[in-house]
Amino acid sequence: MAIIIDKGTQTIIQGITGRNASLHAKFMMEYGTNVVAGVTPGKGGQKVEGVRVYDTVQQCMEDHPRATVSSIWVPPAFAKDAILEAIDAGIKTVVVITERIPIHDMLMVRHVAKEKNVMVIGGNTPGLISPGKALVGMLPTITFRPGRIGTVARSGAVTYYLANSLNLAGFGESTSVGLGGDPILGANFEDVLRLFQEDPETDAVVMAGEIGGVYEELAAPYVKEMKKPVIAYITGKAAPQGKRLGHAGAIIEGTMGTAQSKIDALRSNGAYLAETFSEIPALVRLAIKERSG
Amino acid sequence: MRLYEYEAKRLFRRAGIPTPDNIVVERDAAVLENVVYPVVLKAQVFLGGRGKAGFVKTAHNAREAQKHIKAMLGKKHGAYRIERILVERMIDIDQEIYVAAAIDRLSHRPLVMTSRHGGMDIEEIAKKEQAIMKFYFNPGQKIHKFMARKIAGQLGFSGQLLAGVAGVIEKVYNLLVSYDCKLVEVNPLVIDKRGSLYAVDAKVDLDEDAMFRHRDLAEMGIVARHEVGELTDRERTAKALGIPYVDLDGDIGVFPGGAGFGIAAIDLIQHYGGKPANFMDSGGAPTQEKLRAMLGLLIDNPRVKAIFGARFGGISRCDDWAKAVVQYVLENKPEKPMIMRMAGNMEAEGRKILEQAKQEHPEFFKDIKIYAVDTPIEEVIKETIRCAGGE
Repeated sequence: MAIIIDKGTQTIIQGITGRNASLHAKFMMEYGTNVVAGVTPGKGGQKVEGVRVYDTVQQCMEDHPRATVSSIWVPPAFAKDAILEAIDAGIKTVVVITERIPIHDMLMVRHVAKEKNVMVIGGNTPGLISPGKALVGMLPTITFRPGRIGTVARSGAVTYYLANSLNLAGFGESTSVGLGGDPILGANFEDVLRLFQEDPETDAVVMAGEIGGVYEELAAPYVKEMKKPVIAYITGKAAPQGKRLGHAGAIIEGTMGTAQSKIDALRSNGAYLAETFSEIPALVRLAIKERSG
Repeated sequence: MRLYEYEAKRLFRRAGIPTPDNIVVERDAAVLENVVYPVVLKAQVFLGGRGKAGFVKTAHNAREAQKHIKAMLGKKHGAYRIERILVERMIDIDQEIYVAAAIDRLSHRPLVMTSRHGGMDIEEIAKKEQAIMKFYFNPGQKIHKFMARKIAGQLGFSGQLLAGVAGVIEKVYNLLVSYDCKLVEVNPLVIDKRGSLYAVDAKVDLDEDAMFRHRDLAEMGIVARHEVGELTDRERTAKALGIPYVDLDGDIGVFPGGAGFGIAAIDLIQHYGGKPANFMDSGGAPTQEKLRAMLGLLIDNPRVKAIFGARFGGISRCDDWAKAVVQYVLENKPEKPMIMRMAGNMEAEGRKILEQAKQEHPEFFKDIKIYAVDTPIEEVIKETIRCAGGE
């Protein structure tokens, strides 16, 4: 077990004929991900890295009815349509690599996904990896080791540094999930924490948040409910207030959204707070010991 | 992206939301010829508190108006230089109400907010229970005219005024949805002594990621821009190059990769007693040309004593990054220490490029260290701080 993707999980790639998507399709397959098909409207019948391309997700699903995960690599103007197409065709988890998707489009996507009980991860996510089993997205596989710690983070590179610090201390990951950097996301921290809580191969969860948005604060009450320990690392304490920092999501809004507001909410609900990446492994060890003893 | 009041009002007019007649004065006041007095003159800046700072004035004739314009143009309100003044017909206020449409990030739905009491104290009013009424919509849901009438009725209006207020509510919500706004706020919506409605102030926050599908904004003179305060020269250079960059006041140049780790890197440098000189987003998949421009921004900053660099190759590959670093060093022979770390996709290929360059030109690489995946990032940061002469 792992969460969301496992050995053999059938996945498709929407926008597979693009430069980045085709490169990472190759990386995914080399890692052992079961990529069964690609979709690019107007390019049906072609092949990319030996994988057949379909015009529509519907046609693709007729030939591959057991595909459950799709990753989206199309330009932002077409992202909403591609995600809704995947949901309509019966895909269960949509991983949205595309960044800077219009906010109103993501509101609509969330609304439909909730109705159809589909998990949308992203936009602007590097994807997710269950080390040694499967990769969907563009995470650098060299960084991840199989293990029993779940990780979930907003930023791509932070996901890599988390795994890196865990691995240097001898830990590995059950699954690492990137939530994405856009202002309106599909899945949030709580959605992923719930999956890790149910996963028998995960002992503890490391979550990394950053200034802006409210997803960390919203997850805090669930952290208290969880049986498994949560180690949290929140960045943005030194960020200049009110200045836009490149990430569409990282803008300070209202009283929620500051690094301190997130740290306070998580700490008061029983999370273990780390100040640096290198503190994380020791906190993981401590947390597992305290929870099991 | 927040709009100036005069821009928001252009958008209001297009959407059919009534605004007082107005003109924008940028330099000379010759355009005042056809103005009907009295007027209100309002400095166009984002910062609140314009009235208290003396940047909202009234004038009863052209001479007075000229005097105020001369006194305000070019002055600074906080970090903002006043470059434009909105000259607007003064409205005879009977009532001030509040109408807004926004996106609620907690429930991920658009909503309409209204209050019978608008004006400057709206935030105080908002603290009182039920003083502001909220009406939620599902994404994609249209507002029917009857819904807007219902809201206006619940605000306590009747007859002609109910119809008028309902019309504004409907148009404000439609503007939010049709122009991809994050916020449309009319505060106050004024009812004058004759029962006519006017949006006397206007706040609009557009989703910059959706501007590609609103080409008519450019016709109204509304284009994407940096929105906060004034840019430093270096920030201006970075912006022209398309690099997200913010100057800070320390001495360690930060070349971090993506924005998420950039935020973490600034925290970590401060945590270990160093001072970052900048925030930068050097992630995504930048071209080699852009990577070299990014390094140049840091090296050319006289304040910077050492560079911290990191590349965790995801979508952007280590070999591309290594090529850009090598080429920058060979072309510019920087004399500042560069302490970096490279890991991730195509790491081995990247390392080969660096080692080869180092063997061929050891003299240019003597102050440059590039660590690998087995050195914790914190150690790289601590060493950079040491090189910059910190603790």
